[in-house]
Amino acid sequence: MEYIIGIILLISFFGLAYYCIKGHNLMIGFLLITLLWTILPLGGTLFVSESFLASNPILQFGKDNTLIAALNKIYQSAPEGWGTTLVNVCWGAWFGRVLMDTGIASTLIRKTVELGGDKPFVTVALLNVVTALIFTAMTGAGPVIAIGVIVLPILMSLGIPKSVALFTFMGSVAAGIYINPVNFTQYRAFFLKPDEMPDFTLGWYAAHWGYAALIIMLVITTVLAAFYLKRAKTVHAWAAQTRGAASEQKNAPFYTLILPVVPVVLKIWLDFSVIGGFVIAGFLALFLCGRMKGSFKENCQLVNKLYYDGVVDTAPLVGFLLTLPMFNSVAALASPYFKVILGNVMPRSEIVVCIVFALLLCMGLFRGPMTLVGCGAATLGVLSNVASFSVPFLYAVFAIPTITVNIGSCITQSWVAWGLAYSKVESRDFLKLSIPNAYFAGVLQYVATFIMLGGLGAAWFLS
Amino acid sequence: MTKEEFREALKPIGAGLLGRPSQQRYERPHFPIRPIGDMLSDLAEIEPWEWYGYAFSREPLNGKFHDDQRREWMEKSLACGKEYAGIVCREYGTQDPEELAKAMGMNVSYPEFPEKTDRVLFAEFRVPDKICIYMDAVNKAARLFLKPEVTQVLTEGLDVSRLLLAHELFHFVEERYKHEIFTKTEKIRLWSLGFIHNDSNVIAFSEIAAMGFAQEIMKIGYSPYLMDVFLVYGYSPEEASGLYEEMMQAAKRVPRPASQESSVGEETTV
Repeated sequence: MEYIIGIILLISFFGLAYYCIKGHNLMIGFLLITLLWTILPLGGTLFVSESFLASNPILQFGKDNTLIAALNKIYQSAPEGWGTTLVNVCWGAWFGRVLMDTGIASTLIRKTVELGGDKPFVTVALLNVVTALIFTAMTGAGPVIAIGVIVLPILMSLGIPKSVALFTFMGSVAAGIYINPVNFTQYRAFFLKPDEMPDFTLGWYAAHWGYAALIIMLVITTVLAAFYLKRAKTVHAWAAQTRGAASEQKNAPFYTLILPVVPVVLKIWLDFSVIGGFVIAGFLALFLCGRMKGSFKENCQLVNKLYYDGVVDTAPLVGFLLTLPMFNSVAALASPYFKVILGNVMPRSEIVVCIVFALLLCMGLFRGPMTLVGCGAATLGVLSNVASFSVPFLYAVFAIPTITVNIGSCITQSWVAWGLAYSKVESRDFLKLSIPNAYFAGVLQYVATFIMLGGLGAAWFLS
Repeated sequence: MTKEEFREALKPIGAGLLGRPSQQRYERPHFPIRPIGDMLSDLAEIEPWEWYGYAFSREPLNGKFHDDQRREWMEKSLACGKEYAGIVCREYGTQDPEELAKAMGMNVSYPEFPEKTDRVLFAEFRVPDKICIYMDAVNKAARLFLKPEVTQVLTEGLDVSRLLLAHELFHFVEERYKHEIFTKTEKIRLWSLGFIHNDSNVIAFSEIAAMGFAQEIMKIGYSPYLMDVFLVYGYSPEEASGLYEEMMQAAKRVPRPASQESSVGEETTV
């Protein structure tokens, strides 16, 4: 019977993949699959063989492990545990809004362009580096759009084809996200509870793999942009750029331009609190840029408004993020059944995992089964329960399709979809550039993963 | 905060909690709508050299310049465009942009391409010889020619697609004369470190000269920059009004106030 339940669970997994690829609501999709994966494994305990039940204590219920406690763990403790991640997301979004409101982000971009001038490749390379730096701290669709409305018209005015401009901008945003503390906390929660494995910090992760992943993504995006630029013809366009934030030329003081990286540096260097870093750098930005010159009440309103705008920026993620931990938790109940079906098929060695994931990178597109912000959470649930890998290794294996492929290269990413509409680039023209970028960068990142995170000691495994 | 405002404020959070991704989190500023005739008539009064504030506002290196430089370069670039219009017209013996394009061996296409209001693309020149005139903007604006106050300013029978073509032809001419033309030879020093330095062209020079070129070929008295408002109006009278305000302020003039009555009337006619 366990085989039949395992097969039904497997079919539902592919059903979820199809559901995500079709672009349906992720929150509802994950709620439904959580429900199904609760009913089938628990109901299945009434029919499975005794030997199967005996070898899987997670499916045995009694005084110490009551059914109600198991259900509470899935539907109460798991989403509650995600609360700590959510707080980081909200503060990160506030900080992003502060950088936009004070003009620090836009000044950084303009000053960078003034270094590069009319040489498209030099300007693209410099802008890629600065964009990546900015997005090590900023997060969410709002900040990407706010920076995009500055960067994209500049690149297009330099005669850079719009599809190249869009792909290189989105690629460098994704590069920065590799060491973004908010994203790190968010994805870490897929693998660990906040208090588990305290040594797996952003500092450790950045030093052992994060910087390499960022640099690979940045270099490949820039090199490919240079290759495309060499082949592309210069374009002069007459377009009316209507009034928006892009036309406001508000320059922030020079010494404030370092503030965007302060929270990340504090976190990596001193393992200082991420939220503390956002608060310090955010208020410094507001004071140094003269945004706190009003009365106490006005200043409070400003801080409040920025917080509100920031939370709105992250709102589309919130529903999904709060459903996901239920699914992560229920995957443990389903794992014994998956083990029966896939136990002999799933890769167990790190080199095989890296090769298989590198080959299947395209399945991180369209919210497919490789991306954590799609139905990759299900793949993680299956993989981590049928084989044993160190947490940092597994993190990197899933971060690549999530960040390089989904966030940086996929048209289902909210800000990529915005960019396509804004710059009037056809989806297929964007994908023609972004998919090679995802593959080149992704394969090199898997090589780095195997070299840098392969064969870690027992301390990095979950007991 | 009223009950309605409170409800509106909560909407995006509610949408987020329901997992409905919202792609446009960016609220654009709002502007009072003015009649197109009034705006065009105000803008037509701005002398071509007075457009430097607006012309440089889209220049990536604008932060490095001061107003005296902008004004000087505006005059030189306009003169450059007009000079090369004369050279080309004499060479090919015609002032018709379509005939010029044909004689120059240009590959001109007129695609219909739906546009959004935040960036309306009118025309493109792709090196070495491809020009696209995006007809969606032109066709939308064609309806505005039914208004007498519009034809009065823009001159009756103005062919907007030819004006756009004339502008793009300049970029071809510029490529051909790139070793001698002002827009390509005039450079500014961005930075220097000992022997190492970075000199750069200014993209605004090309665009300004292309406007001067088009103005000369089409024999119009106003600056073609005015087309930004005219062509955007077909998509959004409000955005066009915002551009009008920006242009008037850049030319150090006061935008005319919008009357409530005219706003409503204009919006319903487009």
